[in-house]
Amino acid sequence: MCKDINQYLAGLKKELEGCDPALIQDALSDAEGHLRMALDEALLGKPSLSETEAIASIIEKYGHPKEIASAYRAIESRTSPALSVSREKETRSSWARFFGVLAEPKAWGAFFYMLLSLVTGIVFGGWALFAGFISLCTLVFVIGIPIVGLFLLSIRGIALLEGRIVEALLGIRMPSRPLFLDQHLSLKGKFMALVKESFTWKSLLYTALQFPLGLIYSFGIFLLFALSLSFIGSPLLELVFHLPLELFGPEAFTPVWLLPIVSIAGFFLLPLTFHLAKWVGKIHGRYAKSMLVKV
Amino acid sequence: MVIKSNVASNDQEVRNLAYTADANKKFQKELNSGSASLVLLSILAQADEPMYGYRIAKLMEVDDESVPMMKQGALYPVLRSLESSGLLESHVDPSVSGPPRRYYRITKSGLETLKSWTKIWSQTKAFVDGILKGKTDV
Repeated sequence: MCKDINQYLAGLKKELEGCDPALIQDALSDAEGHLRMALDEALLGKPSLSETEAIASIIEKYGHPKEIASAYRAIESRTSPALSVSREKETRSSWARFFGVLAEPKAWGAFFYMLLSLVTGIVFGGWALFAGFISLCTLVFVIGIPIVGLFLLSIRGIALLEGRIVEALLGIRMPSRPLFLDQHLSLKGKFMALVKESFTWKSLLYTALQFPLGLIYSFGIFLLFALSLSFIGSPLLELVFHLPLELFGPEAFTPVWLLPIVSIAGFFLLPLTFHLAKWVGKIHGRYAKSMLVKV
Repeated sequence: MVIKSNVASNDQEVRNLAYTADANKKFQKELNSGSASLVLLSILAQADEPMYGYRIAKLMEVDDESVPMMKQGALYPVLRSLESSGLLESHVDPSVSGPPRRYYRITKSGLETLKSWTKIWSQTKAFVDGILKGKTDV
């Protein structure tokens, strides 16, 4: 029997043990939002009603932790992110696996994530570093505290948005519900809750690190992709359009006998680039999950 | 000997009642798991504006208080599942009185799906009704 919302949430968390942390965060967020709204509505204009009495009937309608956990488990088992890894056993030959990466949506998703990280890295990372520095500077004035609070809130918003991008492009289940602070807390209480939560700082660190990571990812993948395409098209570029590849110095043309070898190398470099993107996407997805999921 | 037999029959009755309650609960659950998506799509198709989970739950409560269609908490994963299938779209808006809310709106593909699911539902309902009616007539 749960006497308050926190007890209910603890019960739900226990029942969801072993599930994906992002699912647990969503379930807790859904429950907290719903129960708080229902409790506020139930207590409105009924000062004689105690919170314990009200919460009992609210939970009866919402569902006990065990029932709700089972509903989340059942639906989650058939709702995986669009690009999540298939658990089917790999039966293709090594060659088919090597070149087949070009037809894998997950590899293309990771490729686009790495390209997009130029924009997200500059916008999100730039915001974390620039606005973070400005808000830190304002801390010497009294007005600085709410500014820092707003800045930290914006970082949590960015964490949610980045999570959605990671889920859509890398196929890693990330939270879809925003985290919120107890509305009954005073402004100071809300600020302290924000500051005390390690999730806030992990999100800030992740967002700030996206700046250098985004630049490395996007330039690295773009360079490899451009190199692959120019290697593949080298005979056409050099012999038809007279555009030197400059492999042997400025404005130097590649010897004609070497062109087929360079072109074949391009055909190998292209799938290699996508394998690299897929691998980086996998590692980055795990890293994002460890930093941007609260539970 | 007679007392013993009465006690045994009472025990059996209690067991039967418990079994029936469990079976009813299981049947209701199975029925709900299939129809919840249809109900949610239908509610959102009729809504003039995007709706958030709590409001949908309250609407379902008002619409049919006598039959507990499903626990309110079970609506949220269904909403997420419908969204990930592209039948709903959502956005988060801050709320003055409480936590930020996720508002759902039915998509074009959701409307098309609702149309075909409604047809399937009508066919299933007619079939089940026909069988039940036949059984009662016998």
